[in-house]
Parts: sequence; C-alpha cells; structure tokens
Amino acid sequence: MSLRLLTRAAAATSRTPFGRCCAVQSQTRYFQQGGSIPEGAGYSGHDNTKNNTNLQILDLALTKVHEHGWSTAAVAHAATELGLSSMAHGVAPDGAISLISHFMDRALDETTIEVDDQLHEFDSTAECLRFICTTRLKQTLPYVKRWPEAAAVLAQPQNVPLAMRQLTNLSSQMWYLAGDKSTRIDWYARRSALAAVYLSTELFMCEDRSPGHQDTWRFLKDRFENMDKAETIASKTVAFGEQFSRNLYNILASRGYVSH
Amino acid sequence: MVALSHFRLIQARVTLRRGLSSTAFLRDSAQQDPTSTTHFGYKTVPSDMKETLVRGVFSSVAKRYDVMNDAMSMGVHRLWKDHFIRKMAPSPGAKLLDVAGGTGDIAQRFLEYQDRVNGDSSSTVHMVDINPEMLAEGEHRFQDHCDRSRISFAVGNAEHLDDIADASFDVFSIAFGIRNCTRPEQVVREAFRVLKPGGRFMCLEFSRVENPVLAAIYDFHSFNVIPRLGEAIAGDRASYEYLVESIRKFPPQNQFAQIIRDAGFTTIGNGYENLTFGTVAIHTGFKF
Repeated sequence: MSLRLLTRAAAATSRTPFGRCCAVQSQTRYFQQGGSIPEGAGYSGHDNTKNNTNLQILDLALTKVHEHGWSTAAVAHAATELGLSSMAHGVAPDGAISLISHFMDRALDETTIEVDDQLHEFDSTAECLRFICTTRLKQTLPYVKRWPEAAAVLAQPQNVPLAMRQLTNLSSQMWYLAGDKSTRIDWYARRSALAAVYLSTELFMCEDRSPGHQDTWRFLKDRFENMDKAETIASKTVAFGEQFSRNLYNILASRGYVSH
Repeated sequence: MVALSHFRLIQARVTLRRGLSSTAFLRDSAQQDPTSTTHFGYKTVPSDMKETLVRGVFSSVAKRYDVMNDAMSMGVHRLWKDHFIRKMAPSPGAKLLDVAGGTGDIAQRFLEYQDRVNGDSSSTVHMVDINPEMLAEGEHRFQDHCDRSRISFAVGNAEHLDDIADASFDVFSIAFGIRNCTRPEQVVREAFRVLKPGGRFMCLEFSRVENPVLAAIYDFHSFNVIPRLGEAIAGDRASYEYLVESIRKFPPQNQFAQIIRDAGFTTIGNGYENLTFGTVAIHTGFKF
C-alpha cells in the first residue's frame, strides 16, 4: 500500500504515460528478472542508477513512439529533450527491443498497482483473471497503432528468448494476482493457456476498429470461456500428443521406414 | 634496441646492453624515490618514468603496429573494434574524442559508421595520443580521406587533457590504451570532465579470462607466441613482452567497472561486456 502512495505522489510531478510508477524502479526487474535492461552475464546488483535518469529517458521515449516508432531514434529524441547528449540512447543497449521490454515491465507494474484494491470485488478466479487481463490490455491501448511493429521486433529470432521470458512472466504474475497461489501439477499448462489467450487477444486488438474496442473484449471473453473448460487443457495435451505421433508416423511411412 | 636508445638520449649513462642493463638503470632510479612506483609490465618503475617508457615502447612498434595486431590476434582485433563501434552506435552529429587513438582504427570505423549507417557528415573526431609516431601513422591513414576537416590530431596525455574544454564531446573512447596509462582513474576522471551530460564513456581493453582452461591456452599464447612474433616481425621482443605483461597487471572487469562508477559515471547492469571469453572487455558508462 505504501508503494501506491509513493507512486501517487510521484505521479503528480511526472509527465510520462505511466504516472503511477514512473519514479520507482520497476519492481519486476528486481524480483522477477523481467529483463528490461539486458545485463549480459548476469545481474550483479552493482549498477548505480540511483537517480534513475536512464528510466526517465526510457519513459519519455515511450511518448515518442507514435512519431518515431519503437526505435533508437525515439530514445535519442527523448534524451535530447531532457537536455542530454543524443548518445544517451545507449540506455537502450539493444535499441528497439530494450524500449519494448521497458514498456512491458512498466505495463505489468502499472497493472499490478491498478488491480491491487479491486480484486476483492470478484467472485471467482476466472472473473478476477479476466479483469486483470483486461487491465493489462488497456496498458497497450495507447500504443495499439504501433504495436504490430513491436510484435514484429519481438518475433525476431534474437529477441525470442526475451519475448518468451516476458510473456511467461506476465502470465505467472496474472495468475498470482488472480489468487492462484497453488502449486498444482497443471501450473505450466494453465500458464501457457493464459499466455496464448493474452497474446491472441493483443494481436486481435491491433486490428480492431470497433467502437470502444468492444470486439476485443468479446474476443477475450470467448477465449476465457474456452480456457475455463477444464478438460480443454487436458484434451489439448492429448490432442497435441496424438497429432505429433500421427505426423511422425506419416513422415516415417513416406520414407519407407514403417513396415506394413 | 630502439626502445632503450630513447633512454640514452634522455639520460646520458653507461653503455646499455640488451634487457638487463635497462633493469639496472630502473632499479637505481627507484631507489631515489621508493614511495611512488608503479608497474611497467612485471617490472616496478618510478611513476614519473612510466610515461617515458611507454612512449618508448610505442615509438619502436609504431611502424609495424597494425601488422603486429593482426599477427597477435589472428585478425580478431578487427572484429573487436567493429563490435565496439556497433555497440557505441554513434548518433548523427556526434563528436568523438578518441584518446590513445594511435593509428586511427576506431576513428576510421566511427566515420564509416556515420557515413554508411547515418548518412551524416557533420560528426567529427578528435584524436589524441601521447606518442607522435603513432599519431603520424594515423595522419598517414587519413591523408586520402575526402573530408579532412572532420578529423583533427593532437599530441596529448590522457591523464590531463589540458587543451580540451569541459563538456565538449558526446563520446569518449579509449581502445587498448588505458592499461598503458600510469593512473587509469585519472584518465576516467578526465573523461568525465570533457563529456557532455548524457555523454558516453567507452573503453576497449584486454581483460581477465575467467575460464581456467582457456586462460591456460591464452597464457601460453601470450608468453610464448607473441614475444617471438614481435622479434620476427617487428624486431622488438622486449616491447611485446611489456605489452603482454601490462595486460596481466590491469585490474579485472569488475574492479575497473567500479573505478568508472567512482569517477561519477552511471553504468547499466554490470557496466562491461566480455568479448572472446574475457580476453577483451568493453566497459561503458554514461555521464548523468
């Protein structure tokens, strides 16, 4: 709760999109290695970004995304606007992917803070989860016109590990906030299911032109209903296994390795 | 040997023979001022002598410097320097101060990057080196360059860049030079002074190989192959022994990163990136 008060105070003086959490170091980075600043051999905890100038630059760069896209140019313009040399774009060491990763960390933090006091209103875990998912999608809404570019950058082979880390981190965090603190055996399956739901909805949202994005919310609701059916997850695993063996059999047969 | 003939000019002393007499000369000097000494490879020398000795080493290797780099690293130094510039990712119009720039490898790559990637022709490079012979090699490299106004050369000491104003450069680079400086902390502090706010400090230097197996191979290459190559190609074994020893005396990655932070720079993550298993490391910091 004190974190919330702190960030509210900071929000008053900020001029960046993530008003609630901009002056505070992304908690995701410290606690869950969200990967906002790729750190090479490993996070040693020695960096001295105490005045958070690098975060200020990155936050301001997010406001430049409409004009310059997800790129080093956006970060360079943000640095120049803050009165620094354009070489300070190096705070996004890998360029576009660093900026996108920073956005994802901020969005997750913002979601965590925002849903904090509203979760008790929901009856079931599923409803809770849907609300959290909606909140997170609303973080992407301001950037929705440029999000396809970000998705393309995330899909590049060198960025896939980071993209997977971010997605699974998001999924775990959303399940955790929804109240699922169990360690049941199907935890991985449920995490992947939520990740798939989230990802498909986000991509749908990029193309959605309906008023108030109502098509997106309906799409999300449908996906959640699919996911709810418990047997779906199990049957998906079985179906996948079945499909895999069928394909393998067909390949071997076409090569002549299967005796009849 | 060329390196030792420098001493003969500066201090008229007894006839110098190869290697051993130079150590005797240095020992005598050390006894006069035992408190302020530093390392010169594996030898201990008075601090104020180191600059002269280093200048001597590089005067003797200047002409064959590029060839020797190729031979010692089997051409890999070119990849290191390419990666260094890509990591720097200079922005259009950036001003580079290349210290210990010597033969101009970094300056050349910087200008090429600006031309090819940014299409920018307003960026400039100012090259500083303590050794006039190395700088002459650099000038020679750029003499056919179409726009000589973008490069300037000056003889100077990295520890006190007296001719350079505060906050006047966007990026400061020192590639394979800082281990030769008597006081690396002083160099880093000077870098902090001359950089603009938001400016970037970048240092490319030989560093520690952590992996013990690779370290053993690297040590063998350093102490057995390189001095012999020096003798064969450049005719100067002692200078290359010095170069190899100076690598071992330079602080390891984390320690140097802390020196950079102590000077006031902000580092992201652990502040360095290892190349080729730690043979070489790029340290970087921002002036915020």
